[in-house]
Parts: sequence; C-alpha cells; structure tokens
Amino acid sequence: MSRPPRRGLAPEALVAGGVVVLLVALVVAVFLSGAGRSLYPPDAATVQAQDTRGLYDIVFALAVAIFIAVEGLIVWSILRYRRKPGDDELPPQTHGNNLVEVIWTLIPTAIVLYLFAISYQTLNAVNAVSDTPDVRVHAVAGQFQWKFEYLDGAGNVLATQTVPYYATTSADCKAASLTNAACGGMAVPVGQKVQVTLDSPDVIHAWYVPRFLFKRDVVPGQTNKFEFTVDPTDAGQVFRGQCAELCGTGHRTMLFTVLGLSPADYQAWLASLVEIAQRTPPPAPSGATTLQLTAQNIQFDKTSLEVAAGQPFVIDFKNMDPAGVQHDVDIRQSDGTTVVVDLQTTDGGKESQYQYQALPAGTYTFICSVHPSIMHGTLTVH
Amino acid sequence: MATHVLTPATTAYRSGLYEWLTTTDHKKIGMMYVINSFLFFLIGGTFALGVRAELAYPGLQVFQNEHVYNEFFSIHATVMIFLFIIPMLAGLGNYIVPIQIGAPDMAFPRINALSFWMLPLAGILLLSGFLSSGGAAAAGWTSYPPLSEVGPLKSPGSGEDLWILSIILIGTSSILGAINFLVTIFKMRAPGMTLFRMPIMVWTVLVTSVLVLMATPVITSALVMLFIDRNLGGTFFDPFHGGNAILYQNVFWFYSHPAVYVMVLPAMGIVSEVLPVFSRKPLFGYRAFIFATAGIGALGFSVWAHHMFTTGAVFLPFFSLMTFLIAVPTGVKMFNWCFTMFRGKLSFSTPMIFAIGFLTMFLIGGINGAFSASVPIDFALQDTYWVVAHLHYVLFGGSVFGMFAGLYYWFPKMTGRMLDEGLGKVHFVLMIVGFNLTFFPMHMLGIQGMPRRIADYASDAGWNDWNLAATIGGFLIASSILPFLWNVFVSLRNGKIAGDDPWQGNTLEWATSSPPPPYNFDRLPEIRSERPVFDARHGRVAHEA
Amino acid sequence: MTADAHAMLPLADETGHAGAPVVIQEGHAARGISNPILGMLLFITSEVMFFSGLFAAYFTARAQNAVTTGWPPKQFEHTLNPLSLILVATVILVASSFFCQFAVWSIRRGDRTGFIRNISITFVLGIAFLLLQAYDYSLLFSEGLTIGSGPFGATYFTLTGFHGAHVFGGVLMLSVVLYRGMAGQFSAKHHDMVEATSLYWHFVDVVWILLFSILYLL
Ligand code: HEA
Ligand code: HEA
Ligand code: CUA
Ligand SMILES: [Cu+2]
Repeated sequence: MSRPPRRGLAPEALVAGGVVVLLVALVVAVFLSGAGRSLYPPDAATVQAQDTRGLYDIVFALAVAIFIAVEGLIVWSILRYRRKPGDDELPPQTHGNNLVEVIWTLIPTAIVLYLFAISYQTLNAVNAVSDTPDVRVHAVAGQFQWKFEYLDGAGNVLATQTVPYYATTSADCKAASLTNAACGGMAVPVGQKVQVTLDSPDVIHAWYVPRFLFKRDVVPGQTNKFEFTVDPTDAGQVFRGQCAELCGTGHRTMLFTVLGLSPADYQAWLASLVEIAQRTPPPAPSGATTLQLTAQNIQFDKTSLEVAAGQPFVIDFKNMDPAGVQHDVDIRQSDGTTVVVDLQTTDGGKESQYQYQALPAGTYTFICSVHPSIMHGTLTVH
Repeated sequence: MATHVLTPATTAYRSGLYEWLTTTDHKKIGMMYVINSFLFFLIGGTFALGVRAELAYPGLQVFQNEHVYNEFFSIHATVMIFLFIIPMLAGLGNYIVPIQIGAPDMAFPRINALSFWMLPLAGILLLSGFLSSGGAAAAGWTSYPPLSEVGPLKSPGSGEDLWILSIILIGTSSILGAINFLVTIFKMRAPGMTLFRMPIMVWTVLVTSVLVLMATPVITSALVMLFIDRNLGGTFFDPFHGGNAILYQNVFWFYSHPAVYVMVLPAMGIVSEVLPVFSRKPLFGYRAFIFATAGIGALGFSVWAHHMFTTGAVFLPFFSLMTFLIAVPTGVKMFNWCFTMFRGKLSFSTPMIFAIGFLTMFLIGGINGAFSASVPIDFALQDTYWVVAHLHYVLFGGSVFGMFAGLYYWFPKMTGRMLDEGLGKVHFVLMIVGFNLTFFPMHMLGIQGMPRRIADYASDAGWNDWNLAATIGGFLIASSILPFLWNVFVSLRNGKIAGDDPWQGNTLEWATSSPPPPYNFDRLPEIRSERPVFDARHGRVAHEA
Repeated sequence: MTADAHAMLPLADETGHAGAPVVIQEGHAARGISNPILGMLLFITSEVMFFSGLFAAYFTARAQNAVTTGWPPKQFEHTLNPLSLILVATVILVASSFFCQFAVWSIRRGDRTGFIRNISITFVLGIAFLLLQAYDYSLLFSEGLTIGSGPFGATYFTLTGFHGAHVFGGVLMLSVVLYRGMAGQFSAKHHDMVEATSLYWHFVDVVWILLFSILYLL
C-alpha cells in the first residue's frame, strides 16, 4: 500500500529556513561587507580598463537586480506557500498564462540586447589598434619565459628584455621590483599608446595583466595585436602579469611585470637597455677551458660536464631550437635551486659564449633556467 | 492498430551476476549507468580534493611536481564531465524515459547494453594513463594543441593517446544512446501519449539526444585528427607545418558548448518533474517550457566561440550576441519554475529541496556566465577562477543538484524503498554550504586575477584566504557524500516500503509497481494530458480547473 | 493518505494481467518508418556531422596554405588526376548504389532471386572499389604523397581513409544482407535490414561524390 511520507513541520521548516538564511547571508556578505568589494575588479590601470570597468559596473548592477528578483521570488514562494500539515486540498491548478510568458521573454530580451549594445561599444574602444602607436613592443611567449623586444617605428629591434625563470621566484628581483635589466619585465611610458604584438614559438600562452582587465592569447602561427595606455596617475607602479593559458608544466612560472614610467624615465630606461644590448662582451680569458654544449628539442646534448677547480671557464653554447625558444646555461648548487651563476638567455638559432668565474671543487647542477624541469645536468668541479 | 506480444523474461535460474552482466533490460542498464557514474563521481571528486589540498596554501605541498597537478585537474574534469555527469543523466533517462512514455523497453535493447559497457571500459583506459610512463593526460579537459601534440614539454606520453581513445569511446556510446532515445521516444509511445503530452523529462532527453547526435561526432573528428597528428605524422593542428592550432578550438567547442546543455537539460527535466509534484500544481507554462528547451538546443550551436574570445581569431560581436540571447530561453524556464511553486502547496521532501537547490544555484551560474558574454569583461575573466566558479555553479549547482533531486525522487521507484528524509536533509545542508564555500570565493579570486590551472600562487597576491576557504568547502562537500552513501546503504535494507506512488506523482512511472515489472506495465492508465497519473487520481474535474 | 489516492486507474487495456504475456498496444506513433530504418537515418545524421568536422579541417587547411604552397602543393600537382583510375572507382561506386536500389525494389516486390543477384553485384562492386582505392594509395605512396606530407597529405588521406573505412563497413553489412538473403530471411514484408543497409550505402556513395568533386575537381 502506498503511503505518503510523514510530513512534520520541523524538518521542512528547518531546511527551508536554512536555505533562506544561507541566501540572505550570502547576499549580505557580498553586497554590504568587505567581501562585496572583492567582487569588483581591481582598480583599472589603463584607459581601456577604465572603459571595461564602467561596463562591469552596469552588468554587475543588472546582475544583482536579476539575482535579487529571482531568488526573492523563490524564497517568497518557499516561505509563503508551504503546505500545512493535514492540508490535502489541491491548490488552484494554473497551467500557465501566455501574457506573462510574453512578458518574461521580452524583458530579458530587452536587457540582453541593451547589454550587448553597450558591450559592443566598449569592445570597439578596448580592442582598437592604431597605425601610429607611441611605443611598440613585440612580446614572445615561449615555454616558459617571456621576452619583450622594443621596436622602433620601422619595426627594428632596439633592445630585448627577457624574464628569466628565477626572476619570477627570487626575492631579490621582487625587491628590485623587476626594474633592473637583469630581472626583466616590461616598462612602458604612462599616458602613451603602447602597442603589443604577440608571438609564440611553441604552444598557446596568454598575456594577462589583471589590473589592465585584459588578456590576449599568444597563438603560434598567428600574430595578435592590442593596445593600451597606462593612466598617467599610475607612473611608478608595477603591475603583475602572468601567462593565463595552460602551456605545460611551467605554466604558473610564466610571470612578468609591467612598470609604468613617466615618459622621461622611460626614455632613460630604454637607453640603458639599448646600451646594455650594444655592449660588446669581453673576450674570453685566454687559457680558460672551453666546453661545447648544444641545445636542441629542449634538451642539452650532454648530461655531465667537468672542469678544473679554481679556474674560470667558458661554454660555447649553441641553441638549435627555433627562434623564440630561449635557453641558457646557469649554474646552481646541487640542490638545483640555489643560484651560483646566472646568465642571459640565448634565442633559438643563436650562439653565445658564456663565461664563468672560477668555482670551488664540488658537484653542481648546470641548468636551463627557462626549462629547469627537463634541461639540467651535473657539473663536476675538481 | 498494430499490436505485438512480448513474453516476460524466462524464470529459469541464472546467477544474479550473470543476469546483470548480460541484461538488456533498460531498468537494469539504467541502474548500472547510475552506479557506474556515481563511482566515477567519487573518483573525480577525489582528484578535486587533491587539487584543493594543493591550493589551500601558497607553495607546493601535495604535489612536488606541477605536472602531476596538471594531470589531476585534467583527469578530474574529464572524469566529471565524460564519465560522471553525462552518463549519469543518460542513465536516469535510460531508466525513466521508457516508463514515462509507457514503453516496455528502449527501441534497441542490445545496443543499449553496448552503450553502457563502453563506459567502464573507457574509464579504465583513461585512468590507466596514470600507469603509463609519461603519466595521464595533463593538457586540461580541453586538451588544446599544440600542447596536446607530441613533443618535449608538450604531451609526449601515451596518457594523452589514452585520453583521446577514451573520449572517442564515450562519444560513440553517447551517439548510440542518443539514437536509441530518439527512436524510443518517436516510435514507442503508449497510445494517447502525443508529443505534447510527454513529460518534460522526456522532452529534455529528446533535445539532449539531438544535441548529442549533431555535436558529438564533431568532437570525434577533432580527436581523430589530433590522434593522427600525434601518431601518424599528420599536421592538422601544427602551426609550424601548415596546420592551424585554432581549428581544434573551433571544432572542440562546436561540440563542447552544446555538450554543456547535454549536461544540464536532463537535470532541468528532473527539476521540472519534481517541482510540480511537490507543489501539487502542474508545471507552469508546459508548452513555453518545451519551446524554451528547443530554443536552447538550437541557439546552443551558435555560441561556441565565446570560449575563444581572447584568441583574436573569431568574429566577436556575433558570438557575443548569440551568447547573450541564450539567457532568454533559460530565463523563461527559470520564471516558469518559480511560478510553478508560486501559489502552490509546497512540501519539502528531499527531492524538492534539491530541486530548489538547483534553482537558486543554477541562477548564480547562469548570471555569472552572462558576464562572460560581454566580450570586454570576458577579456578580464577568461581563464581565471571566475570561469571555474561559473562552470561549477552550472555543473555542480545545476546538474549535480538536479541529479540528486532525481536520485532521491526515483530511488523509491527503482528499489521499492524510501530513502531516509533526515539523512537526506543533512546531506543537503552540508552540500549546499560546502558548495558555496568552495565555489563562491572563486568569483573573487577570478576577478582579482588568479588564473586557473596553476599549482601555486604568490603568497603576497592576496589570494590566500579565499583559497583556504575554498579548500575547506571542498572537503565539506566530500563529507556531505557520506550521509548520502550511508542513507542508500541503510535504506536498501531497512527503508520504508515505498509502494507504487509514494510522492503522489504525475507521470506514468508512478502507475506501475516499485520496482516496475519486466516490460514495465501490466496496465496503463488512459493518457489525456501530461499528467496521466494525476488525472487518474483526481478525475477530470481537477484537470479542467 | 488522501481518499482520492485510492481511485481506480482507468485502464486503456484490460487484457494485461500478471503472469500472462503482456500485450502492448502500439499507438499511432508505431506507424510510419520502422525502428531500424529510423535508427539508421539518425546514425547517418551523426556520420554527416563527423564528416563535416573533417571537411571543415580540409577547407581550413586549404584556405591557409593555398597561397603559400599551392593546392595541391606544387610537387604533388600531377598526382591527383581526375581522369585516372579514380574515375573508374567513382563510376563503380555510383553504379553499385544503383544496383543496391534495384535490390531494394526487388525485395519489396518479393522477388528474391532478383534481390540476391543485385545485392551480389553491389557487394562485388564495393569490394572492387576498395581494391582500386588500395591500389591508388600505393601509387600515391610511390610518388611520395603520404599522410605526413603536410596539410594536403593529412587531409587527403584522412578524408579518403575514413571514407574507405565506411565503404568497408558497408561491405560488411552487405555481406550479412547477402548471407541472410540467401538463407531466405527476407521477404516483401520483412526486409528492414535491406532498407537500412541501402540507405547507408547511398550515404557512403554521396560522401564519395562530394570527396571526388572537392579533392579532384575543385
Ligand atoms: C552545465 C553547463 C553549463 C551551462 C548551462 C552554461 C551556461 C552558460 N554559459 Fe558556460 N561554461 C561551462 C558550462 C556551462 N555553461 C563550462 C564547463 C565552461 C568552461 C569550459 C572551460 O574552459 O573549461 C563554461 C564557460 C563559459 C564561457 C567562456 C568563459 C571563458 O573561458 O572566458 C562563457 C562565455 O560566454 C559562458 C557563458 C555561458 C552562458 C551565457 C550560459 C547561459 O546558458 C546561462 C543562461 C542562464 C541565465 C542567464 C540565468 C537565468 C536567466 C534569467 C533569470 C533571465 C534573466 C537574465 C538575464 C537578462 C541575464 N560559459
Ligand atoms: C560535473 C563536473 C564537475 C564537478 C562535479 C566538479 C567538482 C569539484 N571540482 Fe571541478 N572542474 C570541472 C568539473 C567539475 N568539478 C571542470 C570541467 C574543470 C575544468 C578543468 C580544466 O581546467 O581543464 C574543473 C576544475 C576544477 C578546479 C580548478 C583547477 C585549476 O584550474 O587549477 C578546482 C579547484 O578547486 C575544482 C574543484 C572541484 C571540487 C572541490 C569539486 C567538488 O564538488 C568535489 C566533491 C568531492 C567529492 C564528490 C569526493 C567524494 C569523495 C569521498 C567522499 C571520499 C571517498 C572516496 C572514495 C571512496 C574513492 N575543479
Ligand atoms: Cu605560458 Cu601558460
Ligand atoms: Cu559555452
């Protein structure tokens, strides 16, 4: 014999109450307390981001309104229309109402068309690229490193900044706010149009700076382009950037920074970068041992090297990977993390003569700081 | 009118296990689907707990190697989507749809069994990736090339190949299942069961099946090409040899956006069954509901590139507009659900509570999805935790809550026994609190700039508190599963006997015994509306009102 | 418990009672095309979508590479000649479709001999097509065109390869039809499998015509 389940008031009221309290708590927490601000984007740092931020405000307000209206209807129905114990009468069997169907089709349609229209307008503003930007940067994202090339009006490379792996993890570079050339990063003049072109030599990455409210994928085989203008009041600020597209084991280490400089500071910064780039490397000390090392397919051709203790030495390094795939040969303690010697990277298809100071006897790790997980070997000094 | 005679299954003795392994009865197959999918839910959830444990604090604690982290979330999502939620809903449909339309079985019972058995096989293939030398697939559940191609620092191991084969197998299973559903629904309805008298659950399964039929083969083609690239020297997606990396994304999302509706429409169907029964009113706007379902299905094919707004390779305004528009039919459903409860007489049994959980949580997931429809905002949100919040609010807050509503609702029908109401409520409260604690903070993380798919984050980025909260929430969700499992365990033995119609249901499954006999019905009530059992109980008077 | 929950369910069918064979009345939905044929049509729909995915890849590859390498690439310009063996293969496949249809018409009339004769011809033609395609592949390989020859090779072999696999599947179905036909299992009333197989065979044929036009003529 079938028998409807026992219906006591207590548990159902409790649970209905639970749902309500939860929702109310949620709404209160979100809109009134400090958490409410967390649902807002961080302060917009570019002219474009300010547009997006304005759009966000409208979408957010509408979303809250819709949320409250619909959740309110649900909560109201739960509270008001509970079935009292012992009440076996059927409520009126309303099957529907065409008028309300039309109303709640048309109103949301109007809302979304409006949202689309303002989104489209903003899109045109934030997505615009001009023919004559003030600064051109060519950003190359490779596994797992950023490289920023500063171009002149004709597209020639003036200077190059790479972000070595350790810079993103070492406290030194954070303290120096990544402004010095060794730590890498990207500096831009505030108030000027910066145009970034993006390329990848391997997999898909994404250029993402949260405070610009913007990201753009770096797609191999396709050059993407975008523009931004940092707000002039943000001179001197450092903005965190990070790769936002899963690109393999080192994805989360693809950090970079964007430094907003006043135009004058920017010119000085660029000049120093150019100067570093043009410095001719000192000749290899005569008599130093020279080792050969080649990288191809993201592998070193050797897994162990040996040198004599107390003598400087040189590695002739050949990077046979495609352009854009960077390598270097750093030296770390045998733990693989403590940096002993750190050098600039070499682009794919290029060669470098890396010079190392004399090392005390012991066992070390030589490592590519861009691909530390798969490119390393032992360096024995005796 | 044509008739044919079905002889009930022979009563000759067969061992119970053999019976289950060889059965072609849609009810047994449906239950195997449900059990198998639930096991994968636990497995997928365990991976998620690993992910959450790692993210609780900055620094690497659980995984010494980020590669393992990547394997974990990739397999988490693959299991949850392809081995849990899609088969779970297909399984519930398998059990319920033939009964709801008064049919004795599915149209092709043996193909039905085949569809099921491909799933555990695919699951084993997928998970065996962990035993292979390179580890399991680690390129995300989306598996974008070139990362998923062979190469150092890409996906050199066979784990990725196993992933591909497994998804192709599951896809084939889905396609066969969809054909089965469509033929069953079109051809095997009981006399009087016109299309516009079918329960909404059946309608949602119908539309879902059309989506599966049209979309799944397309992802099969993408995966076949990826497989050829990896193993036979093809260059489809290799941009350095004339291929196109974005092509994969287009083909993948052409499937995977409709697939998100495959993952939610049947859950919406369940909710549309449960709400009227426990409000003691008919579903408000039955026809509008059907049109909205069909509308979602149709629009679903024109929005795929909203996953690719930041690629710089798609026509933004069109996909933005279509994505916005898809909120309209979904809204129609939402309002109709609300008005089904409005002025009803609501009783809060566990299925109803989970259905309400669906309404309140899916709403949040839908609205935060609409943020991403606005392209400039999506430039900020794409690939951040905001998207992770969105997808869990729709998939967990929507589909999983809907699924639990269905499990609690039909458990008495499947087993003949009631689940315990008290434990059910404990389950619900733990789950909804844990769920919000886990996933609501992800909105904040996302908007503050935390990218997804990272094993570690800087301790000074301001993301510590929300991450810790999310981890605690994740374990709270896991703990909510325990009362459920206990409930099932106890109730199977000692649960109250359910009887044919414990909830005073509307649809045909409540007109037969619990569990139903072989071939489902000894007799059928007359079908004059979408609520035949209600009509039978109350007579015409109530129906006319 | 409410009183009206006891109300008897009105019965549409009084014959069913426990233990006896259950008589299920089929509603109006049972008329029209039969289940296997509807199933086959739906299956073909899914196949169309599968090939659409491959065709999308083909056109993307072609659009992207036509300018830089030519399409077909310069070095393979003469390998794909429409006026070669492949034309013979095309004619064979199209002809087989006709014979397949003749077989269907025969069995609809109840003409079993005609049915077996026509289905045998279809079967043989199907095999002939496969052999020709295999031979054609060997010629292409000897000219250096393989699946690894860039986007052109990859799309060419993937498209024709999957089509070939479908022809092979069709030939298997035809062999079952032939076997069952010779065993006398089909009649004017019962020949769903023949209809379904022929639908599939026509589909395979249409795909080939598209492939031939796109790969060889366009
Ligand atoms: C069940 C699954 C499901 C469902 C139903 C949806 C529903 C929707 N999704 Fe979601 N989505 C996913 C699963 C799902 N999604 C997943 C898994 C991903 C991530 C994939 C990955 O990258 O891993 C994703 C990602 C995703 C993106 C890409 C984000 C990014 O990567 O940048 C976008 C962008 O537009 C989006 C949009 C939408 C929209 C607009 C809806 C709409 O259908 C929602 C409509 C519903 C409502 C809006 C609420 C009810 C409506 C009303 C009350 C009416 C009034 C409302 C308005 C006027 C706004 N989704
Ligand atoms: C239906 C789909 C579904 C479901 C239900 C879930 C459930 C959960 N998900 Fe998942 N998730 C996805 C689909 C889903 N997810 C997708 C598509 C992605 C994107 C992946 C990508 O980027 O590629 C994702 C990504 C994702 C991330 C982001 C990872 C990253 O980007 O780095 C996180 C992080 O917290 C997460 C967490 C969780 C948690 C805590 C749960 C919890 O709800 C889980 C609850 C826990 C359980 C259910 C476990 C129960 C276990 C026990 C009780 C123990 C007993 C165990 C045994 C007996 C074996 N998920
Ligand atoms: Cu580069 Cu992620
Ligand atoms: Cu989508």
